[in-house]
Amino acid sequence: MDFDESLPRRQFVKAAVAAGGASALSACLGRAPRAGEPVPTGVSDISNLPQRQHAWNDRVRVDADGNVHLPRHQTFLYLTVDADGPPEDDARGTVEAALRTLDRAYERSNEGLVYSLAYAPSYFDRFEATLPDSVDLPEPRRLSGFENPTFDTQDALLHLASDRGDVVLEAEEAMFGDRSEANGVAVEAKLGDALTVDDRRTGFIGAGMPAERQAQAGEPISGIPDSLPVPEQSPLFMGFEAGFAGNQATEDYVTIPEGPFAGGTTKHVANLRQRLGDWYDEQSFAERVMEMFSPSHAEQGLVEGVGDNLGADSGIDAVLDPETIQQSISDHGRVGHAQKAARANRDADGNVRILRRHVESTDDDVASLHFPSLQRRLSTFEEVRAAMNGDDLTDNPAIRQRVNNGILEYIFVQNRGNFLVPPRRHRALPTPRPA
Amino acid sequence: MNRRAVLRAGAGLAGAGIVGGCLQTESRSVRSPPLVENRPDAVYYPTHSEGMEMVGSTTAGEYKVAAMYSYPHRFWEVTGADTNKKELDGSHAMHFMAVVWDPETKTVLPNASLTAELTKDGSLADQTNLYAMLSQPMGLHYGNNLEGDGDGTYTASIDIGSVPDDRVRRSGDFRGRFTDPATAEIQFEYSERARDDLPYQEYDDAGNRAALEPMDMMAPSATVPPEGELPGAVRGTATSGDAVFVVTVQDTVPAGIEGDGQYLAVFAHTPYNRMVLPSMTLSGSLADDSFALESTLDPDLGYHYGAAVPEVTDGDTLAITVDTPPQLARHEGYEMAFLTMPDAEVQL
Ligand code: HEM
Ligand SMILES: [Cu+2]
Repeated sequence: MDFDESLPRRQFVKAAVAAGGASALSACLGRAPRAGEPVPTGVSDISNLPQRQHAWNDRVRVDADGNVHLPRHQTFLYLTVDADGPPEDDARGTVEAALRTLDRAYERSNEGLVYSLAYAPSYFDRFEATLPDSVDLPEPRRLSGFENPTFDTQDALLHLASDRGDVVLEAEEAMFGDRSEANGVAVEAKLGDALTVDDRRTGFIGAGMPAERQAQAGEPISGIPDSLPVPEQSPLFMGFEAGFAGNQATEDYVTIPEGPFAGGTTKHVANLRQRLGDWYDEQSFAERVMEMFSPSHAEQGLVEGVGDNLGADSGIDAVLDPETIQQSISDHGRVGHAQKAARANRDADGNVRILRRHVESTDDDVASLHFPSLQRRLSTFEEVRAAMNGDDLTDNPAIRQRVNNGILEYIFVQNRGNFLVPPRRHRALPTPRPA
Repeated sequence: MNRRAVLRAGAGLAGAGIVGGCLQTESRSVRSPPLVENRPDAVYYPTHSEGMEMVGSTTAGEYKVAAMYSYPHRFWEVTGADTNKKELDGSHAMHFMAVVWDPETKTVLPNASLTAELTKDGSLADQTNLYAMLSQPMGLHYGNNLEGDGDGTYTASIDIGSVPDDRVRRSGDFRGRFTDPATAEIQFEYSERARDDLPYQEYDDAGNRAALEPMDMMAPSATVPPEGELPGAVRGTATSGDAVFVVTVQDTVPAGIEGDGQYLAVFAHTPYNRMVLPSMTLSGSLADDSFALESTLDPDLGYHYGAAVPEVTDGDTLAITVDTPPQLARHEGYEMAFLTMPDAEVQL
């Protein structure tokens, strides 16, 4: 595989993560910004690790406002179990041993590796027994009247994340490739001996990364207009920050409280393509603020630049009541994305219900978004997405299903998958009713 | 190298200053002459018209869909009474259009949400929302300017969305209809040369208050029948913002709509060619009684704005208020009309 040596260093690492494979890894090891700097090692006693595979928040960077910054490089490996029917015990042993290798090799942090292995409803269909009622995990389905996604029904999803591109690559090579060492630790078992990679997707997030990646070799990627408008400081292609602490569920909140999978969570992962020509070229900054946050945010000038100034909370709770929304629609003919979605994203006590962990992607040279969301019950995600559709607001004809309706004009759902992220004790090929 | 790549390579060589000119020749600005000055706040003759190429038609779920393309067009998106001109950009290859209808009644559906994905040789050329829009030769259709990837065989995958009940009420046998999305795939050949061979005509009388004749399409058009052919009794007409309202009284309320008196069905259409004007918020008042005239799809009445009323007495005055003008994008010649729409009165 050839890598364009003239690429700036950081871009080069992204290109290598996107390409994957042993040659990408070796190219990357020579070129990564911090190649050569040691990667902190993991633990030999896994009881030092949390039961929650999704316990990432206190292991990654957090800014002064308390907002979590997800690891910059991520890989999503969609996996199938190699045999029909329920997996055998030795496959289970292989998976557990392979994961222990990762745990020993890398500190569970943004400097090392954070990861989780999750299982789809179709995986549990291999068994005669069914999942207990304490786990709400429907098959993926269409969640708006205008989408026609491919459903990801592979057995499992391995989600790898690190601030170091060389780490996600090496971990992948250790688990599925030829690599016999991971961060100096001998690879005793490989996931590849029990599971096969059916699809591989890559993501990234962080200030500056989307702007750097909006063009490849001078050519805008699909979805990005010729004006190359993505702001330098933005962590996302659409030009704003997301995931303020006050607008995210806590890990506690999304954790399944009871039953055999207590300590786990459910995970929805969508992939959405973006088409941002009209978003940037046809709209003013104020209009983008209206459509992303709310018309009130624009009126009051609440958002500056990429939204850093919002601190720890988008302030969306002040504009969720039906009267404010109706007033905004009659004054501006628009409703905000965060505004619509947040309507269904609070419980009776005002707690946020879902934990979004989305990252950008340039897979296949298309600007897209991988959208994982964690929630105690998967159907909670479906309810929030229904609120984001805003069908109930289309009685005013200025709000069309896709137009003036938050950001729906610019995003196109390609894939949807649902998964159970079991607690650590059941992370290796669990049965639906583990003891 | 695709056209966009050629342009970008050119930009690298020639510098940004030249790119502007280069883009303009690419998009043949000759083919979009400047807008006429002093456009009237009404329907007017556009500067030019272009032919279109039929791409194909097919059935998808409960819908029939036809697709066509033309040269990239400027058009205007509408939000409330504001218009926002969608400029052409050198990377657009075509104005891609689709019409969706119910095969049995040939009712054209104005409120399905359409998405088109264009692929060539398995790779993505463009994917976009198609805006519901109105043009003089084409009538009601969905369209947008799309990027291509050179000459060859394209697959257009068109997702037809369901029509939310909040958006348009359904009555009679249309109850429960248009709630399932469907996807249609159509393959077609595209070349820049074929596109450039499409008929093209400029008009000397651009800006006059008139409209082009509709063209023949392989799809039904959304028009309001002449008054003599409308169901029920035509009780009067009114105009507002150059739109025509035809007020009819039906003796029975369509099935599925509450009320057991008479039914006011108001048909809104363009002047000259009677094209349906959907997606307004209308209200009416009759003898001190105010009500919403709800946008409704009915197999017998077609798209109309309706309200069940106890009884219509001869000589009553119906006041029609347009709370929101037609929220659909406009091609040239329609972008100044149907925006500022004062109250209208009809003596019944
Ligand atoms: C390209 C796609 C997307 C972008 C760029 C984006 C960006 C944003 C931004 C900037 C905010 C406001 C700040 C914040 O609270 O994080 C927000 C809020 C939100 N987004 Fe998205 N989003 C995208 C897609 C989605 C999708 C697919 C969902 C699925 C349901 C979603 C759900 C939400 C929710 C629920 C909120 C409100 C959070 C609250 O409850 O306060 N977003 N998004
Ligand atoms: Cu059009």
